[in-house]
Amino acid sequence: MIARIKQKSPLFIKISFYIALLIIVVAGAVAFKTTKNLSKSSDLVVETYMVNVQLEQILSYLKDAETGQRGFIITNDSLYLEPYIKSRESINNSFAELKEFTKENDFQQNKLKDLSSLIDKRLNNFERSSSFSINNNLESPKFNPVFFEGKELMDAIRIKIGEMIAHQKEELARRQEDYKTDVLLTPIFLFFLILVSIALVLLAYYRITKDIESLKSYNEALETFKESANQSEIISKHGNWIWNIEENSYTYSDNLFRLLGEQPQSFKPQLDTFMSYVHPDDREKLEEDVKDMMENEHLPFVHFRIIQKSGNIKRFKSYGQTLELDGVKKLIGTTADVTDEFESFRLLEERNAELERNNKELSAFNHVASHDLQEPLRKIQTFLSRLVDKESDNLSKNGQLYIARITNAATRMRLLIDDLLQFSRTNKAEKVFETANINLILEGAKQDLAEAISDSNALIAADTFPVMRVIPFQIQQLFSNLISNSIKYQQENSIPKISITYKRIDAIEEDKLIKPKKEHYHKLTFTDNGIGFENEYAEKIFVLFNRLHGKNDFSGTGIGLSICKKIVENHKGYIFANGTPDKGATFEVYLPI
Amino acid sequence: MNENYINVVLADDDEDDRLFFSEAFDELKINTKVSTFNDGVFLMDYFNSEEAILPEVLFLDLNMPRKSGLECLKELRANQKFKDVAIAIYSTSSSEEDVENTFVLGANIYIKKPNDFKSLKKVLSDVVTLNWQYHTNGLNKDNFLLRL
Repeated sequence: MIARIKQKSPLFIKISFYIALLIIVVAGAVAFKTTKNLSKSSDLVVETYMVNVQLEQILSYLKDAETGQRGFIITNDSLYLEPYIKSRESINNSFAELKEFTKENDFQQNKLKDLSSLIDKRLNNFERSSSFSINNNLESPKFNPVFFEGKELMDAIRIKIGEMIAHQKEELARRQEDYKTDVLLTPIFLFFLILVSIALVLLAYYRITKDIESLKSYNEALETFKESANQSEIISKHGNWIWNIEENSYTYSDNLFRLLGEQPQSFKPQLDTFMSYVHPDDREKLEEDVKDMMENEHLPFVHFRIIQKSGNIKRFKSYGQTLELDGVKKLIGTTADVTDEFESFRLLEERNAELERNNKELSAFNHVASHDLQEPLRKIQTFLSRLVDKESDNLSKNGQLYIARITNAATRMRLLIDDLLQFSRTNKAEKVFETANINLILEGAKQDLAEAISDSNALIAADTFPVMRVIPFQIQQLFSNLISNSIKYQQENSIPKISITYKRIDAIEEDKLIKPKKEHYHKLTFTDNGIGFENEYAEKIFVLFNRLHGKNDFSGTGIGLSICKKIVENHKGYIFANGTPDKGATFEVYLPI
Repeated sequence: MNENYINVVLADDDEDDRLFFSEAFDELKINTKVSTFNDGVFLMDYFNSEEAILPEVLFLDLNMPRKSGLECLKELRANQKFKDVAIAIYSTSSSEEDVENTFVLGANIYIKKPNDFKSLKKVLSDVVTLNWQYHTNGLNKDNFLLRL
């Protein structure tokens, strides 16, 4: 955004100003030319006027000369010749001026030449007429034609002068015609040009104002960002620093000072000063890292400790990256106080180690249960079987009863140990998920229970299942536990019937599933016709060692269903029980797809 | 090797188990000669001695002092001399770890010590009369652990 302003607007403004400047220059040139034309026109007016005046003057001098000459002829007094002599001089002067005025006008120059020769002739005529008077020859017949010639010459001069004045007037009129259009068009053109340049300047002004406004809002945004950066630095315990590579100087953000345990900007940021805070053990390593940073202009993640003046030791983590702005290279770095993180990580590690120790103890306990407890029990059982086989006859009735009771108790203990082992194995065993054929797994479970199934004549009807992603041996355990459960809690004098149905369901359609993680689930429903149970125990039966029936009525340890629940949880699934006393029980297993 | 009876060896530190073992073979109608050793060291000393008569089947307990069954198994399978001895692991535990390890190390069958004498007799008689050639050819992890 900032870059856009920097590049686009100034170009537009520059162009506007250049165009406006060009327009003003053009307008100036046009105005200059018009003014020049105007002064030329006024020169012409003056010229015309002067030419007219001089021509009239010449005519009047000639008239003076004529009058003087006539007086001389009549009186023969040389006093009358004075105006004639004077007029000659004046005519010459006027002529010179006329020549000067009309030097650029060929037409008038030609006329002037004609006029000059006519005047010369007239003056000549004067001389000749005068000579008649001097010689008192006025009566001579030659005098009259000469005098008449003088009149004719005078008329010709008048006509010539008239022509010249008329021409000059024509010229003036023509010029005035031109001048009129000039005078009319130039102001319109100039006015238009000025309007355009004003518009351009206004547009440029508008753009500048707008740019300034957006700059202002960017500035505000930057200011806000700076403040929020400040806050986030405080909250997340980190500080920023800038290394100006060219000047080799540093800038620290306020919070970096705080992290060092100092007031913001309380000293001049320098490498040496910073190093004095670094823990002596970490100083050498960090100095090397900084040296690398200066060479490579990059700082990878570095960890070090610092000691605040108060003596607190803090753990820091730093990272830096070069940035080139307007050709000036800077290394922008961030340093974070990771003491808390480090501490909690250490705590976590300690906890983990403790947990691991506990786990090891637990598995050691498992081993004791599986091996060391089994061994004496196995021997008790074996010796009991030896006793029954070999010594039964030597025992009294009571003795035989006691032996039978001991055998029962030992069998029960064996069951407990086996189930407990199974339970702990379900907890601890590696959870390797495989895409498995569930139908085969069910067959495996049936085989595990082959004896119980054939003894009870149980009927098991199952749907065909699709393949599922499960831990196969655990699912087999689940199946065999559920089936053996159904067989175990059968009604007296009836054949256990177990049906296993399959349905693929959408999680949202089943209200029972609380916060399901997947959209679809496999639903397996185990239904039996056993003794069932009161529904209020539906959740209790999954709790370890929880039994609904007396030990003597039904054999069982209260672990089987806990194992089922554990297995289903290992699969991130759900298991629900539903019972009707004397009718049967239903177990629903949901496994995620 | 005597064709009239089968040589069977048991290495087990448990006195009771050795007793059950011997009694079971006594009651079985199979011609066997049973020798027992109290731990792995005694067993290996015997096997490595000149006068040793190598048995058809060696029953090996895993948990023994001084030298465990696992160590014995390793040593025996590392030596070509003992390649014809069928090794049956004979242990209280049937933890997956033990079953896996002994299978990988080359034991031929894994027996979990039964809880009553009748089963013990049946297992021992089954194992001793097993056709090892046939069993070993088709051996896999599933039939390695002898199921009762």
